[in-house]
Amino acid sequence: MHGRVKIKSTAQQEEEKRKEKEKKLKAFVSARDAVLKKRSAGEHDEEALQLTRQLLSSNPDFATLWNYRREVLLHLETLREKDEVQKLYESELHFIEACLKVNPKSYGCWHHRTWVNTRLPQPDWTRELGLCDRCLSLDERNFHCWDYRRVVVKASGVSVEQELQFTDRLIGSNFSNYSSWHYRSTLLPQLHPQPAPDSAPITSPSPTTSPQFHSHRVCEEQLLKEYELSHNAFFTDPNDQSAWFYYRWLLGRAEREEMISCVYVSREGERVSVAFSKPVHAQSEGLMLVLDGQPQQVEWRSTHPRLRHSPVWLCDLPPGSISDMSNEHNLTIHWTEKHTHRDCALYTGCAESWCRDSATNLELFRSELSVEKSSVLQAELQSCNQLLELEPQNKWCLLTIILLMRALDPLGHEKETLAHFQTLKEVDPMRSTYYSDLCSKFLIENTILKMEYAEVRVFSLSNKNLTTLCHLDQLLFVTHINLSSNQLLRLPPHFAMLQCLEVLEADDNAIENLEGLYHLPKLEEVSLRNNQICKLSDLESLASCTKLTRLDLRGNPVHRTAHIESELSQLLPRVTALSL
Amino acid sequence: MTATLFSPNTLLLDKHADYIAAYGSKKDDYEYTLSEYLRMSGIYWGLTVMDLMGQLSRMNREEIIEFIKSCQHDCGGISASTGHDPHLLYTLSAVQILSLYDSINVIDVDKVVDPFHTLFGVAGLSLLGDEQIKPVNPVFCMPEDVLQRIGLQPDLLN
Repeated sequence: MHGRVKIKSTAQQEEEKRKEKEKKLKAFVSARDAVLKKRSAGEHDEEALQLTRQLLSSNPDFATLWNYRREVLLHLETLREKDEVQKLYESELHFIEACLKVNPKSYGCWHHRTWVNTRLPQPDWTRELGLCDRCLSLDERNFHCWDYRRVVVKASGVSVEQELQFTDRLIGSNFSNYSSWHYRSTLLPQLHPQPAPDSAPITSPSPTTSPQFHSHRVCEEQLLKEYELSHNAFFTDPNDQSAWFYYRWLLGRAEREEMISCVYVSREGERVSVAFSKPVHAQSEGLMLVLDGQPQQVEWRSTHPRLRHSPVWLCDLPPGSISDMSNEHNLTIHWTEKHTHRDCALYTGCAESWCRDSATNLELFRSELSVEKSSVLQAELQSCNQLLELEPQNKWCLLTIILLMRALDPLGHEKETLAHFQTLKEVDPMRSTYYSDLCSKFLIENTILKMEYAEVRVFSLSNKNLTTLCHLDQLLFVTHINLSSNQLLRLPPHFAMLQCLEVLEADDNAIENLEGLYHLPKLEEVSLRNNQICKLSDLESLASCTKLTRLDLRGNPVHRTAHIESELSQLLPRVTALSL
Repeated sequence: MTATLFSPNTLLLDKHADYIAAYGSKKDDYEYTLSEYLRMSGIYWGLTVMDLMGQLSRMNREEIIEFIKSCQHDCGGISASTGHDPHLLYTLSAVQILSLYDSINVIDVDKVVDPFHTLFGVAGLSLLGDEQIKPVNPVFCMPEDVLQRIGLQPDLLN
């Protein structure tokens, strides 16, 4: 009708959009094909620059085109005078900036820019630093820009001091700046290094100084200032994680010394079990076993076929070499890769022997936070508790308090720790499984410590809401274990490290997998009442435990399997006391 | 989260599988063409998800293997797509795809070993059978012992 504005229908709009895209696609494809053709023909001319410019302007991630562009530019360099080359590359920098506007996180762009600066007769580092400032003001987390900044700083000799002030400014204007805090953590040890404890002071700060050998990498005076800075940040905004992570870094992490943790010898089994401080592949570690001064040719094997890397390894001694009870023997395991060894003496009349450092002495479970002075840790714990009074539901605060308490006194703070974990699960239910697993780990650590004080070989952790097992390599010499009334789902392959285990109680869990009950040479009695063992095949690995005579499977779905009693007596002929 | 009221609470596996199976045939799609620079990785991401869902057989194995062969360059490296330059990222993706298909030897394995010397490279070397290097899981691209230690297993989605 006359006078009416014609409004296009949605279908028409869709069709127009489709045609538009088809046009764009055609243009892209023809340009792309032209470029790739030129490249194969080895042409390095202005047209190549034009075509690649056209394509890269809308698709700066097409890396091959940047490669081609560099080939062309290098060729043109040979044909131009120095001042022309300067102009050529300066115009390239403008082009790259335009591409960065399309994708500020394009690997291709940033890499090309770095390359251009190596070709520029006179690079302008001030301008480059300015570009970084601008990009970071648009996106403080653009790691490409941070990396590029580090390149610029290095090439132009900007001082560490200046960069530290830069982080001061960024953090001061906005505490939530994970990248700035992170950058700060790399600058501080250069500007304020912790002097080496026993040797002469470091003359030139070396960023490669291994943190393993210092309890903190920053000198104490500066550390205290940094603690204050962190307090300001997390008191101002307790929900921002950046400052909390930085704070944990400050409190430090002690790396565990690499060593042989435990050597266990059994006369009856004529077997040696060795526990290492970390999982290893025994065949690649240069292990040597020396018995009474004589090196022995032995084959190392893992406790379970699925554990190709394991903290515990076994080997058999030549038959008869230690079986006579009236003989004393001295055993040494050499870990040649790490230049360390451990001795173990097997005395007359003793059926077995083991040698290990106590977890208490090693402060084994404190490596979460460093060997910072306890007075400092105590002061930090106080600060965090103050914050907790103001913000009782803050998960970062709760978790940090737990870690501080564990660093100070794991057993003394056990009750409080459990209470805090309970609160954590309520305020942060999305991570309740993580907290349950972490809590399980801490309870296991505490039980190991208590076991040591009592000097017994019984490990008891029933009714503790355990959701996972860990540190099983520390339980090499345990004879009795009680895991009843928890929430365990499986006895994983690592359970096979319990080489001395005689009795296992794991009633009232939700266990459906018994993979770890594998070749346990001393295991006699197993109770698994009220679990989730469903089929005969779930029990297969038990056949490898040759001393097993008592098995209680009452309250498991498997009892419904047809002919289960006869199947089990076939699978496990040595079991004389079976309860279903 | 605004979506919670109407979002499904189970994974719509069939729809996911259908989407990925159809994705490769979008040859005349603008965005698809523009992402050609990472095609090899895109294929890997699609295949690995289909494998987790037990639907790898829906993908065109022969076509993909021929594509990979066409992307290996004289230096041994593999490119994201035909005519593009070889790159570590896409060499690794190609090796991962071939591991999924148990067809590592369709490419020149000895040549591939040359460019590797980074973490990605080490993963690639392991998948190519280097015995000095720990076994690597091709789905997670992480060492098997790490997966064992943290108890992570690829769960077949069902």
